[in-house]
Order: sequence, then structure tokens, then C-alpha cells
Amino acid sequence: MSALSLVVVAALSCAPPDRPSVSEIYYDGPGDDTGQEFVELWNDSDSTRSLTGLKLQAGDGAGPGRWTTRWTGGPSDQVRPHARFVIGGAAVSPRPDVVLTLDLQNGPDGLRLLWPDGATEVVGWGVLEFPEYSCGAPAPDVAGGQSLARIPDRSATGSNAGDFHPAEPSPGFANQRTVDAALLRHRTTLEPEQPVPGGTATLKLALTNAGATAWGADDAALRVAGELLAAPVAVNAPAVAPGETTIVSIPLVALREGRGVFAASVHLVGDEAGANDADTLLARVGAGPLAITEIQFHPAAAEGEWVEVRNASREPLELERFKLGDHSGAGGSIEAGAPLAAESLAVLAQDPTALRMAYPGLDGARVRRVSPWAALNNSDDATGLADQVLLAEADGVPVERVGYSASGIAAGVTLERAGDTWRPSPNAGGTPLAPPKPMEPVAGGFRADPRRLDPDGDTVNFAWELPWESANVTLELYDMEGHRQRRLAGPVHSGAHGEQPVTLDALAPGLYLAVLRAESADGAFTRVTPLRVDAQRP
Amino acid sequence: MKRGLWALLLVARASAAQDFAGASPAGSTRVPDGLLDRALPSASPALCAAVSQTRWWGLPGLETRAATASGSFHTWRAALGLSQTGEPELGWTALGLGFGASTARAGAGLRACARRDRDAPFRLVRAFTPGAGVEAGAGAWLLAADGVRVWASAPQVWTSGAAPPLSRPLELGVRAGERNAAWVRLVAPRAGDDGERSLGMSLAVAPLQVWAEARDAPLRGSMGLSAAIASLRVDARVDAHPVLGETVRVALAWVREPRSTP
Repeated sequence: MSALSLVVVAALSCAPPDRPSVSEIYYDGPGDDTGQEFVELWNDSDSTRSLTGLKLQAGDGAGPGRWTTRWTGGPSDQVRPHARFVIGGAAVSPRPDVVLTLDLQNGPDGLRLLWPDGATEVVGWGVLEFPEYSCGAPAPDVAGGQSLARIPDRSATGSNAGDFHPAEPSPGFANQRTVDAALLRHRTTLEPEQPVPGGTATLKLALTNAGATAWGADDAALRVAGELLAAPVAVNAPAVAPGETTIVSIPLVALREGRGVFAASVHLVGDEAGANDADTLLARVGAGPLAITEIQFHPAAAEGEWVEVRNASREPLELERFKLGDHSGAGGSIEAGAPLAAESLAVLAQDPTALRMAYPGLDGARVRRVSPWAALNNSDDATGLADQVLLAEADGVPVERVGYSASGIAAGVTLERAGDTWRPSPNAGGTPLAPPKPMEPVAGGFRADPRRLDPDGDTVNFAWELPWESANVTLELYDMEGHRQRRLAGPVHSGAHGEQPVTLDALAPGLYLAVLRAESADGAFTRVTPLRVDAQRP
Repeated sequence: MKRGLWALLLVARASAAQDFAGASPAGSTRVPDGLLDRALPSASPALCAAVSQTRWWGLPGLETRAATASGSFHTWRAALGLSQTGEPELGWTALGLGFGASTARAGAGLRACARRDRDAPFRLVRAFTPGAGVEAGAGAWLLAADGVRVWASAPQVWTSGAAPPLSRPLELGVRAGERNAAWVRLVAPRAGDDGERSLGMSLAVAPLQVWAEARDAPLRGSMGLSAAIASLRVDARVDAHPVLGETVRVALAWVREPRSTP
């Protein structure tokens, strides 16, 4: 670096000259931050620098003057020329030079290096109210799992916002390497999520070129290993330009049953940062130890939502080992209790007290509260599904995921597993803690609510009971004279209890007949109910 | 007397209506239904009182019960009826009036009907207060040739207030024959359909009159039986629909006609 450059850098730098500076801060790890946070210092000089007496202070941006010393350099703490010095938690890899819990805040907050001679360097992030917590404009507040890194490594623009940018954490390594192939952490996925034993699946990796140099096709290699594979898999990686990220699909075959880890890594000659070369995925091949057997997603009374599960393993299971949730993830913890015996059923409930009041005969020991309960959706979205019930082990290994459609399912009717398929329970209210029962005899019925309609349009909820467990149902509208006016819905597949909201508009005032026509292998079934469209709102 | 009975059945009746349709065969001008329901006066003078019940499409909550009376003075005809249909939530009470004049070869009439929802007890004055549904129409028939009768009925020329339960457009018909007869009927299109066409026939086996009619949109049929003994007349009618099932109507009438009726 020329003398002029040094002068310019010194003039613009937020760090005091000729001493190590902050090069990376990781304050918001995914989930619990404990042990994951780190601060990296970089000595860009040609001589070793002592850190004796240096104080690393955390600043609470909520008020002025809230600096707390987290670490003070001892006599043996020093940074070799062009080397990095990492102060961080026990979970940081590679192991930091100083291991301690930093307990940094997620912002808006700041960090300060206070040298024995009084020189300081401040790095602030988030929208800060007090200028003491940043140098110039503060850096952006990063998302969980990302670090705040000085990019390029020698950046000195005179403000934290100009020097620091969100990045993949790289403790102990240059923030911007010349050659660096990396796998983005926590981005590896398996499709299907839970493949069958002996079957195939696709592992999808997010491969990124974190260096400044492009690599060509086949220059890099990807490897996948793990106990769920009969043998490690290696494939050539595609060419990726600097700064670019691409999804690489790796086919996996002959998968072994069970739960385990897929360990993926990228290998590139001259790679300068090994810490970001790997990612892992906890996965399961085959069925899990718990099976979802019944879902109540729209209770008719106040018993709350619930999900019935069966212990499909051969040994008792502690249900608190598992978590339950909806499409957004399995975040609900299950109340602890006695282990569930093999082949036994349990109900995971939003409100166990209300459920036991609605079903007084339930074995209370097998009804467990889940909190927080992820409310299950009652109406389909554009994909044709209402929601998913997700059951996973506490460490995230999937156990089972069941997507369902709420179309045509009346309030109070559960979805139950019948062999390999799911169907609306033929028995109103479902069968919690009991296997599916044969359908109780039903005479069949058909209702509309409301029956007097606004001439400007009204939504009518049609509900029915069929004398069979399922049928194809069509709804039609006739006038009083018997002329068909329109088809309202269907044919749709319906369970014994069904409902369908229909918006009726552009109908002339008068009396109409809504007709339910159901057809199954056991016969045909027709029911009629009258509706009246008023000339003006009653 | 025989000629009078024939005259009662002579003219084909309009489409299945609502409050005062009774159970008479399709196209009848017979007292009191013809005048009250479609503004078609009877060819012969008569004094009549009748009651009827209709169960629409097998729905117990959708039944019509009606009591009607009619009379005549020379060529003038008049009729009055009161009916109730359906459960209180959906149903209504109707008051019908008909007035017309006819000879043996032609007739014309006017009809009016006021309906009030059953959500409150019916009173005569309520039938004419705001919120009531009122409709009025007209009809006429004539003998175009010996044994050939044509008719036109527009039972809802004017409506006001709450809408009638069924829109009833213009209907045209022609009937050939006397005791044994056939008829064709056309109903003008309404919103949502392209009209209706029907073909019917009747056979007389004294003292019975049996009739049947087929209609389209959708294809369906009606059949009925009428028996007259002295001054009493009993009618039964069944309308069969491929989807909705059956509408069953029965009526009992006391009819007195002048012996000198031509």
C-alpha cells in the first residue's frame, strides 16, 4: 500500500491506524445465539500486534452511554501479521482464539474496540438513535444466520454502512477470498422430504462462489456422505461466477431406512476458506416412529383443534421428544407425560381440558397439550390445500407431514387415515383415541343456510349427510316450475358429512329449489331444499 | 249436464302455477281455477266452491292449501280465493281475485293476486300495504273453429312489491277435440331458460276424465284424473320431474251449473 493510500485510508477509516480492526461480527445465529456469536479482528500490517489491554465492549443502542466490556486482552493475546483473531463462543468453528460468550444484541446496537491509549473503533448496526454507537451511518441489521462482514476486507469508507455488509459467517478467514467455493448453511433440502427405504431422492445444495475468481465446470466437486447412503456420492459442480449462487441437485439412490445426517461438502483446488465448505441435513428415510391418524382442523364445538397420533414403533415413546405444527414448521412442544405404549393412540390437543369435556370418556393420560398451537387452516388456498400437519422430532428430523384439503368437509368432521388414504370421518366428531369405526346409519339430509337471500347476492352454506361413507356430489338450482337454473357446485368427492359454501348472485327474485345429487357405487341419492330470493332485503 | 262437463274441461290450462292452480288438467278454464290462476273465464256459468292441496316436489315444508269460490251472472264471471304456501320462514299467504266475461265461443278475464309473507299473521289490510307482493294479469280464449279452441294467458302483466315465487310469462295454447282431445302449449322464455313446450291429451270414460301431458326443459310429464258425480268433483294430479321428484295435487269441488246451459 502506497504512502498516499495509507493517508487516504486513515482519513476515511473508522478504525485507528496501524492496529488490528474489526473485520466481522456475528451477533444473530439461527435459533439460540448462545455460543455462536463471534467478533473477528484482522491485522493487515506486516508485524505482530499485541492486544494487551484492548477492551471489546458491547453497546446497548437503547440509551446513551450503555457500554459493557465483554473481553479485555491479556499479555499473551496478539495477532500475527496478516492474520485474524477470533473472539467467540464455544460453538464457533474453527475454534476461536478466545472462547467466551459475547451475548451481543440483535440491534440496533454497537460494538467498540477501546485501546489502552484511548483510541477507539466503533461498529454499529440497525437504526441507531444515538451517534456514539456507530461510525457514520450504521451498518444494516442482518438476518439471523448472517454475519456483518467488512467487504472488501480493506474497506474504509468512513462509515459502518459503507464498510460492513451481510455475509456468510467466515470466522478466521478473509471475508472476500480470491478462491472460495461455499455451501450456504441451512439451505440443503431433500426431495421428497421423507423418501421411502431403498428408493431415490434428490439432495439440493445451495452452492455459492464466495471468492473473487470464477471457476469452470468440473473444477469443483461435491460430495455427500451419511449413514442413510449405501456409499458416498460425488459429482462435479457446475461453473459459478463470483458472487453467484446456484442450486445443485444430487440424485441419491438406494437409501437406507432410518434417521441420519446427509453431510455435503464442496471441494475446490486453492479454496481459501474451509469452514464454509460443508452443510448438513438431518433427514429420515421411511416412516417415523409416530404416525398421524386423525386431524380435527375445524371443530364444530369449542373442543379445540386436535391431531391423533399412533406409536408406530415397537417400543414406548416419549411424546415430548416430538414437535407439532402446520405448514410453517413444527414449533409446538408436546406436554410431557408417561411414555406412549407401542401401537397406542394419543391425541395432541390445542385445549385438552375442553376436549375432555367434549369427549368425557377420553383417557386423560393420552391427551397432551401442544403449545404453541399452530392454528390449522379451514379453507383451501390456490394450491388446493388448506394446510399441512407437520410432526417432527425435537431436533427437526421429520416424522410425518400430512397435507389436507378442507373442501366439502363439514364443520366438526375430522379427517382420518384409512389404510394408505385419508378421508373425512363418516362419524360426526371423529373418533379420538379410537380407530376408525364403521359408519353409523344415517338417513341422509340436506340443508341450506340462510334460506332467504339478498337479491344482490348471498353466500349460502349447503351441508349434507349421505347414507354412505363417500360419494360424488353435485349441487344444482331449479326454479319452482322445475327448470334448471344453474349448477352450483360439483361434482365433488364428499364424505358422509359435507358442506359447500356457494355464492348466489344474479338470481331473479322468487322461490328456488336447491338440489343435492349424490352418486356412489351403492346408489344414487337426491335431496331438495327450498331457497327464496327476496325482491328486497327482508 | 254432459255438455257442461265437457265445457269445463274444454280449454287447456296454462303452465303449472302457484297459489290457485288446483289439480285441474292442464289448460282448463274450469271454475274456479281458470279465472283465478290464469284469467280465463269458464264458458258456462256456474257456482263453485273448492278446496285444494299441493305438495311441491315432495317437500313437506312446501305445501299449498287453497280455498276458492266462484260465481256467475249471465255472461259475467267472478272468483275469489285464499291460499297459504310453505313454512313461515319462506312461505306466504295469497289472496286472489278474478273477473271476466264469456260466451260459449269466447271469453276474457282479468286476475289479481296479493301475497304477504308468513312472517306475520295475515290480515286483509296487510295484503295492500307496502311490502306485499301484488300481480295482475289478463287472459282470453275463443273457439277458432268447431272443436278448436285457442287461448292466451299473461298472468303477470304487472307486478309490484315482493316478487312472486315464480315468474310466469305469456302462454299460448290450442286445443282440438272435445271429450277426447289433444293440445299444444307454448310458454315464452324467461330469464335463464328458452321457454317451454308441451303436448297433452285427454280421454273421457264417463264419469272419469283422464289426461296426460309431456313437457320439455327438462323432459317431464304430468297426468291427472278427474271424476264428477252429481255436484261433487274430485281432481288429482301428479307432475313428475326427473330430478325433483313429484308434485302431487288434490282438489275437491262443489259445482252447481244451470240445467239450461247450452
